Amino acid sequence: MPKKLTDGVGKPDGTGMRRRDFIVASGAAVATAAVGALGLPTRLYAQTGRTEITFASPRFFSTDTTQQLVEAYNKSQNSVHVSYVELPPPSSSTEVHQQLVQQLARKTGSPDVFTQDIIWVAEFAAAGWALPLDSYFGADEMKAYLPGVVQACTWKGQLTAMPWFIDSGKLYYRTDILEKLGATVPETWDDLIETAKKGMGGDVRFGFIWQAKQAEILTCDLVSFVGSNGGSILGPDGKTVKIAEPEAKAAVQLMYDTIHKDKITPADVLTWDEEPSRRPFTAGQSVFLRNWSYVWSIAQDKTQSDVVGKVEVAPLPHFAGKKSAACLGGYQYGVNASTKNKEAAIDFLRWLSTPATQLHFATEQGFVPTRLSVFDEPELAKTQPFIQKLKNVSLGAIPRPVTPKYPQVTLILQSEVSRALVSGDVEGSLNKAKAQIEKIVGA
Amino acid sequence: MSLDPGHPQRAVRGFPSLPWDRIMIYACALFVVCWSAGPFVWQMSTSLQLDRHLVSGNPTLIPNPITFDHFINIFVGKSLHRYLLNSVIVAGTTTFLCLLFGAVAAFALARLEIRGRFGILGFILGVSMFPQIAIVAPLYMLASQMGWLDTYRVLIVVYLALGLPLVIWVLFGYFRSIPKSIDEAARIDGAKPLAIFCLITLPMSLPGVVTTGLLSFIAAWNEFMFALAFTSDINHQTVPVGIANFTDVHYIPWGDIAAASVVVTLPLVVLVLIFERHIIAGLTGGAIKE
Amino acid sequence: MAVAKTLTREADLPPPEMRFRIWRPGPALLLVPALAAIAAVSIYPVILGFWLSFRDTTLSSPKDTFIGLDNYQQLASDSQFWNAWIHTMEFTSASTLLETLVGLIIALILSQRFLGRGLVRAAMLVPWAIPTVVTSKMFGWLFDGQNGVVNYLLRSVGLIQENVNWYGSPDLALWTIVIADVWKTTPFMALLLLAGLQTIPHSLSEAALIDGANSWQRFWSVRLPLLAPTLLIAAMFRSLDAFRIFDLVYVLTGGGPADSTEVLSTLTYKNLFSALQFGYGSALSTAMFITEIFIALVFGIFILRKFKEAGQ
Repeated sequence: MPKKLTDGVGKPDGTGMRRRDFIVASGAAVATAAVGALGLPTRLYAQTGRTEITFASPRFFSTDTTQQLVEAYNKSQNSVHVSYVELPPPSSSTEVHQQLVQQLARKTGSPDVFTQDIIWVAEFAAAGWALPLDSYFGADEMKAYLPGVVQACTWKGQLTAMPWFIDSGKLYYRTDILEKLGATVPETWDDLIETAKKGMGGDVRFGFIWQAKQAEILTCDLVSFVGSNGGSILGPDGKTVKIAEPEAKAAVQLMYDTIHKDKITPADVLTWDEEPSRRPFTAGQSVFLRNWSYVWSIAQDKTQSDVVGKVEVAPLPHFAGKKSAACLGGYQYGVNASTKNKEAAIDFLRWLSTPATQLHFATEQGFVPTRLSVFDEPELAKTQPFIQKLKNVSLGAIPRPVTPKYPQVTLILQSEVSRALVSGDVEGSLNKAKAQIEKIVGA
Repeated sequence: MSLDPGHPQRAVRGFPSLPWDRIMIYACALFVVCWSAGPFVWQMSTSLQLDRHLVSGNPTLIPNPITFDHFINIFVGKSLHRYLLNSVIVAGTTTFLCLLFGAVAAFALARLEIRGRFGILGFILGVSMFPQIAIVAPLYMLASQMGWLDTYRVLIVVYLALGLPLVIWVLFGYFRSIPKSIDEAARIDGAKPLAIFCLITLPMSLPGVVTTGLLSFIAAWNEFMFALAFTSDINHQTVPVGIANFTDVHYIPWGDIAAASVVVTLPLVVLVLIFERHIIAGLTGGAIKE
Repeated sequence: MAVAKTLTREADLPPPEMRFRIWRPGPALLLVPALAAIAAVSIYPVILGFWLSFRDTTLSSPKDTFIGLDNYQQLASDSQFWNAWIHTMEFTSASTLLETLVGLIIALILSQRFLGRGLVRAAMLVPWAIPTVVTSKMFGWLFDGQNGVVNYLLRSVGLIQENVNWYGSPDLALWTIVIADVWKTTPFMALLLLAGLQTIPHSLSEAALIDGANSWQRFWSVRLPLLAPTLLIAAMFRSLDAFRIFDLVYVLTGGGPADSTEVLSTLTYKNLFSALQFGYGSALSTAMFITEIFIALVFGIFILRKFKEAGQ
């Protein structure tokens, strides 16, 4: 066999070892893959005699609390077994939406129970994916919940979501700076701007931080600002577009002014969502911050915050003569309309909605409960005092526009409001937004 | 000018003797290292710092105090090792199959007279050009109907399809650049195509094979969109999904993420160091017959 | 002896033009596994995508009607679409060009033998190896307008007086993303080009050296032409990938501010999975596909010419 030509071709000095290495390594990889790919059943086994249902939810906590909860339920009774399907973390809200929609649209009945962001309730209800719950939870029973949330969970008169928790925007402020200035907690935007300007200086580089990244958070901030002037984006009928009314325009103008005229807000908020805006505040660089409830526990954590003990929470300011408005957020439960195990699903849902479970979520993570009674629990006062303090804020939180076309509406709002904040052309952008939204919502 | 094919030139090849050229090369090399590894070094520093210190106006490279909490967290609290195992299985199998199918296909297209080879190459390229976000939904429906959700095989098949076009095209290019005269000579001596493939083509294009293998591995290792869509429990989720799951509702545990990225990137770098020394150094060059 | 053997064999074999007909079923079979894998994953979604683009269909309603080319008409007059198209083309050209150039320089450096080369090679790979989910957030943090390291460094060196709002200003945002992508993906080009350089026979380069050519001439007249096929193929794949950029943009800016970084992938994603407009979204995907075909054709023509020139 001629060896001349192949001799020395491609061989490094003295070793054919690398070829052997490669073969061994790849053999091992294939073997491992073969074992793994045999499709060993990794999902939970079927318990004999129990009804199997699936619960799809994002894992809200870095600790496995949702999983623990599911296991607690499984242990507490013998007729239903719940397996937990984890969705992407809620911070990537569109991905959660994508995964949920992909599963619900298949109409196979899985998952039986799921959690939905409050802004998707109308959409899922209109698409026929969420089971109406009125026959299982009567009007009397629903009185125990915050009325605003119950309304947000209702579509066309039918209850299609079970309240779980809400969150609303809050004003965080530095007690030490306000004390030094001798200032009171601002109630109007003018007060806030004045105090912010006075409080800035030195390490405190910013007066007021909020979020204006071209994402859902911008719509949340927009709703707060517009609502604080008594305006709204859509009318109560869900079809009249009011984003171009004078109240809304004044609100967006205020948003623009904080950045460009009063200069209490850095232009960077145009790219900041929750976390990038939270960090300067807990590093002590700002007087005021508008953000969700989660900031509270971080602000008190010595390993994360430079302002421990110097932070307090208050309702967001409003325009003179109007009322404070906070944007309503939070996830709610839902039952798959195509579920094959209605009784089991409802049973699980009931268990999830008990006061005890709500208290558990509230004390662990600071999620505002939706049951009125839970607010007054003494345990809550100890661990999350500001939830009780701001009960009125939670009661008065404003939902984002309620329409099944909400996803498209919010995209338009994000685009046009971002343009307005960059160019200053509030009038033009909001008029364009109105025209586009009208086409979608069909007024 | 006689170059002995059995002894690849070492002494003077490839390194300029002029001092200016040498300085330029070292300077550029230093710049490359700083540019590429700089952010990674910063990540390593971040992973050892308390979260609170990461936001101050004066970022420091040397952590003070040093904390190993993040590294402990990612294994104890977030089970990074399980994601790592899944990733190794998926990426490893994908790379192996990609190289196997791809190299064989590239060889067939480059060396064996196949009609319409550029048409086939064009087809392979064309079909891979559809935006991946548009492919996710239909594939999800298909996979769920076949019961393939939450398995390794669905990811492996998808990553194969995503990686093969590059492997085939690139290896096609490398194989073509090997002079046909060598093949001819071997064929005259009676070698079958398989022998030519294994004993001549592969060894001579080994840098290319190793490189495409490495790139396929990393592509499969880092792929996020399909992994997110097709897997939903920790038994099959890969590292990118695992890291994305570190975030809570709003809070991003930056120190933990930095620690995870260090843990996840270092093995790849070590892998490269190993293969680089064995394969690339001192290969080919003068060994190619004139 | 050998000659006699060869002659004998020659006579035994069929004439040259027939030689490969013996192997014909074989070669095609070798392609089957690869083609099967690719086809299995791509054919169905692509066809479905085309089909859906001619319909008005949303996932959340049972409505599903055939509307012919209406989606495409809407597309042609949609300013958001053209906005995203322009951004995508800008991004693709800038990043591919930069990555090819920088990758080439790195590959040339690494093809030289010097002390510590292995280390540089390994370090060079780091950007490509870091998971994208980390890279996106990391660059968001590095270029943060207020607390980012980049602003801090630039200010300490005196290149800028005030913090630059990298992602927050519509003029800079897209270019900041280009920088992030170049950092991340240059290793891809550099590796491929390096491997290409290493398959070029050194003897050719040496011959030129002996003939008195300096390093620039050697590069330009000897190595570059031989590298051209590899370079073109790598650049083609890179530009097609760059055209479909998604993660970096979505995480860093979400398409903002003021739609200044909206690219086709993010627009399509929002249409498909936020708004659930599967008909219009599929038309968007198809538009992307068609543009990519043009890009591939342009590259393909050059590549084919290179192969013909190489006389193979």
